[in-house]
Parts: sequence; C-alpha cells; structure tokens
Amino acid sequence: MTTRGVRIDVRIDAQPVPIGPEYVTDQPQSALRTDMDAFTRVVCQWCNNQSQSPTQCSFCGAPLDVKDTVTESGWREAPRLRDMTEIHFDQSTCQVEGEVVPVVEIALAPHDSVYFEHHVMLWKQPTVPVQLMPTQGPKRSFFNLPHLITVASGPGRIAFSRDASGEIVVLPLHPGMEIDVREHAFLLASSRISYTYVRIKGLANILHGGNGMWLDRFVTRDAPGLLVLHGYGNVFERLLAPGEVIEVEPGAMLFKDASVTLETEKIKLSSGLLGGTSMYLAKLTGPGRVGIQSMYHHGGAGE
Amino acid sequence: MSAYVCPFCSTASPADTATCPGCGAPIDITRKPSASGWLELPPTADLARIQAGRSSLQIEGTLVPVADFKLADGDGIYFGHHELLWKDPAVHVERMNIKGAWKRMLAGLPVHMLNAKGPGRIAFSRDAPGEMLAIPIAAGQGVDVREHVFLVATQAVTYDYLVSPVWYDTREGDEIEHHWPLGMLLDRFSAKTEPGLVLIHAHGNAFVRTLAPGESVFVKGSALLYKDPSVNMQLHFELAERKGFASWFSSAWNYQRYVWLHLTGPGRVAIQSAYGHHHDPERAIYRSSQATEHRW
Repeated sequence: MTTRGVRIDVRIDAQPVPIGPEYVTDQPQSALRTDMDAFTRVVCQWCNNQSQSPTQCSFCGAPLDVKDTVTESGWREAPRLRDMTEIHFDQSTCQVEGEVVPVVEIALAPHDSVYFEHHVMLWKQPTVPVQLMPTQGPKRSFFNLPHLITVASGPGRIAFSRDASGEIVVLPLHPGMEIDVREHAFLLASSRISYTYVRIKGLANILHGGNGMWLDRFVTRDAPGLLVLHGYGNVFERLLAPGEVIEVEPGAMLFKDASVTLETEKIKLSSGLLGGTSMYLAKLTGPGRVGIQSMYHHGGAGE
Repeated sequence: MSAYVCPFCSTASPADTATCPGCGAPIDITRKPSASGWLELPPTADLARIQAGRSSLQIEGTLVPVADFKLADGDGIYFGHHELLWKDPAVHVERMNIKGAWKRMLAGLPVHMLNAKGPGRIAFSRDAPGEMLAIPIAAGQGVDVREHVFLVATQAVTYDYLVSPVWYDTREGDEIEHHWPLGMLLDRFSAKTEPGLVLIHAHGNAFVRTLAPGESVFVKGSALLYKDPSVNMQLHFELAERKGFASWFSSAWNYQRYVWLHLTGPGRVAIQSAYGHHHDPERAIYRSSQATEHRW
C-alpha cells in the first residue's frame, strides 16, 4: 500500500469548506464534488458521503478508514494488491503474484471453472482440461475480438497475465449485476458469470470513438461470481450520480456499470473553411460506476 | 561531488553520521546524492497536492501517474492533445496555435496544442510507466525541455522552441543522412512576470544534478529530460578501437563510435533512466555542430 494523503503545503487560497445541513440535502453528488477540499476526501462505506472529518463520518457517524481516501475530484484508486494476495470464489482460490506485471494464479476446485481469452494464459498444470466456449467466432474475428474464449475446469492450477505493466482489478459481482468492460481488458471470469458482448451504437463511435466497437458484458443472475481485469498503468474508479457526466479519453475507459451510458462526444477546437479541428471524447453519464486506466491507447480519434 | 550539503549551514560531509559535523543538524538521507553526484528525485507521493496560483493539482497513482487539475475561474493551462485523460464537461478546450507548423511536423511534434480554461477539473497522463515531475519556474527564469517530454504548463509560462544545437551528418557516396541525437527541436519554457509551473513525464526514474561552472558530464541524448538554459551542450564522439576480425575489412570498422551529449555547467540537468536508443549508422561524419572527439 502506498502512502496516501501527502500534501505539499503551499496553499495560498485556502477557503473554508461549508459543512452542515446544506451538505446532506438532496444536492447531486457532482455539486458536492465541486467544492471538495483536500480534507473532505474519505468516503464513508456506510452512507457513501465524503466527510470532512478524517476519523468519523460527519453525516452518519460511522468510523472512517484512510484506505477509502479518494482524490479531490472524486476518483478512488484501485487498491494496489499486495504480492501473494489471496481471494476466494466458489470453492476455488485466486492469488495475485508480482506487482509490475502481475500474475493471477487460480487453484481450481473440482467442478469449478473459469473462462478467458486464450492469449493471456501464462501456465497451467497438465491435468487441467481446457475447452472452447461457444461464441459467434467469425463475427468476433471480423471485429478483431478474440475468436476463441477458452474454459479451464478444475481440479488444478492455471495462471494468467497480460504482457504489460499495470494493475489487476478484482471485481466481485453480486447476483443481478451487469458490468461492461472495454474489449481486450478482461483477464478471466468465473463460470457463474455469463458473458456476452454489446455493440457501442452510433456512427461517430465507429469513425472516431477509439473505444472499439464492442464492449464485453458480464452478467450475474442468481449467484455471485468473480471478474478479473487488467488495467494498463494505474486504475481509478468513480461513482457517477444520476445525470452526472464525465468526458474521458476514449482509450482510457476500462469498465462501467451497464446503467452508465456511453456516447462519443465531438469537441470543436477551432473553426475553418475545411471544417476546423475537433477531437472526440467518450461521454459517460451516470448513474453508476466508471473505471479508467492511466496508460491508454490513443487512437488519434478524429483529429 | 558526492558530498552531502547541509541545508542549514552548507557544510559538505560524507553523510556517514547521524548529524552534520558543521552545525549538528540531523542528516536528511534523502538529500544525499549518489557517488557520482546524481540526486534521485523522490517520486511524487500518491495524492500529493501542488498549488499553482489560484489553481491546484493532485498527482494520483504511482505506476503511470495522473495530474488532476482543479482550475480556478479564469485560470488556464496548455497541453498536447494526446495527454488529455478526462475532463469535466464545463472545462472549455480550444486550439492554441504555434508558429512553424511545418518544422514541428518534420520533428514529429504536435502541430498545435490545446488551451483549457477554468473553472473545472481536467486530468492528464502519458501512456508509459514513469514519474511525473513538477518544475516550478520563478519569474524571469526558464527551462529547456527535450521534445516529447512536456505534459502540461500553466498559462503564466510562455512556450517557445528552438532548433536543437546538437546534430551531425553522415555521408556514404551521394547519400547524406541527418542525425539529431537530442531530437530536432528543444522546448523552452519561460516565466516573464509571474511564476508558473511545467509538468513533464519521465520514462522510468528521474535523476537531477547541479553542475558547477565548467563542470561537465556526458549523457545519452535521449536520456536528457531538462536543463537550465545556462547549461551549454555540444556533441562528443568517443571512438573505441576494435581489435579482431571486423577491423580487417574496412578502416571505417576500426573504431566503435559512441555519440554523447556533452553538458557543461553552471546549472541543473535532469535525466531519465528509460530512454530510446539513438541509431548511429557509424558512417563517416560529413559535418556536425560543434563537437569534440576522443579515441581510446
């Protein structure tokens, strides 16, 4: 865990931040975020408000944890998982090894299975059987998605990594959740999570989006599951309030709740005889979670 | 140059004791330079907050750090459009024209940059592991930054660029090849009447040292991050004699050539530990900028 909350104290315009009843009214979270101060950054895990007090929530009184610190703009860093961190799902175990290019090692119990894109498999025990998951292969190949999704079943050990420095993002999915993930970002998912993919609509996205044309969609019905992603660089997450909007470099979007809408937004930079200059950003509108990565592929969207 | 200098009394000592032998102040081990005189810049701490006039920014993340600006009303920054990570919809972005578009295109630099105006939030990152360095520039001062290193600067800092004074041409037959070991252009940032801030991204780790007047150091051209304008630079070629089979074929193969950037103080110099390799075809040098040579 890195040291957090370090400040370079050369502030010359420190303004007192209003606290009190007006902060617990029905203002949207975005309004609270605008006036957030360096001290009002610990998220209460009980009521989700961001408190000024570093020790206890000033809205519900729950004790606060410094691990829940968010940036001043409201982003929460994905926790950098310690080397050898162990996570349990179903009857199996997942261990994260290494920190620069982390490896996810799964100890599969009998009858448990995980699925993944075949090129992220690092090693496996010879006894672990692999088979193909039925997908619309040719259609996926046509749009440059992996043709094959592979399923590995227990018992035995199998390990995965993506060949780039970054962070492993572990997303436990509760029953009834839907998560959309940028194409080629998913590392593995447990078999209780159903997998499909959705097309990002709009001609602007196809021509200028840089998001890719497809999002992988992971859905849990009546049982929980484990979804593991790989983010390039550092990964940040933010909860958008209903109607709250954030514009993101298209190559940086990593995952979002299915309730968050994604559109490609044209930003006009200058006008001219030949149409001027513009750039395109991914416009994400809440409610729901949004995850971004700090090392992204810049697709030269629309310049 | 490997001595630790006490920040209170300026006494130089080897820093092998707990306190300064001159004034007794505690030794700050983080200020001790390496044996060769380089001081490793401590990586900006996660969530460090930096004030820039009425605006502020926060450095987030440690592997591929993000600079998250909170722009005050009327404050502005400029940046290359590739570095934009996210922004509030309220932040207005427009094009900033730069002279010499053709020259910049030849150098592979963005032809234009973008201006962002507050109030609102906007964040930047470069898609490579490394460190984010904040360079505060006092009024009347400036800094020279190698091309493709700059990330974002505040409005109080003026931007200009100059053609790199370090180059050489090689010739084989009628074919002349032009080489820029440092890149074709050098970014220059200056603060005229009020202080400003420049953010750069270093690939890998960053190291800095202050060269005394006349003191020299050789560095790889692509490893240079920034230097004070007072630091002079020129080319230096080192030739190491080859012995054995290869030297029988051509006199051009008798020596292995190393191309260095020769930096001479006074002033600050910063380098990065991950850098691109400059390809030198080792053909005969036809002409070059001011250079020195040494054969071993």
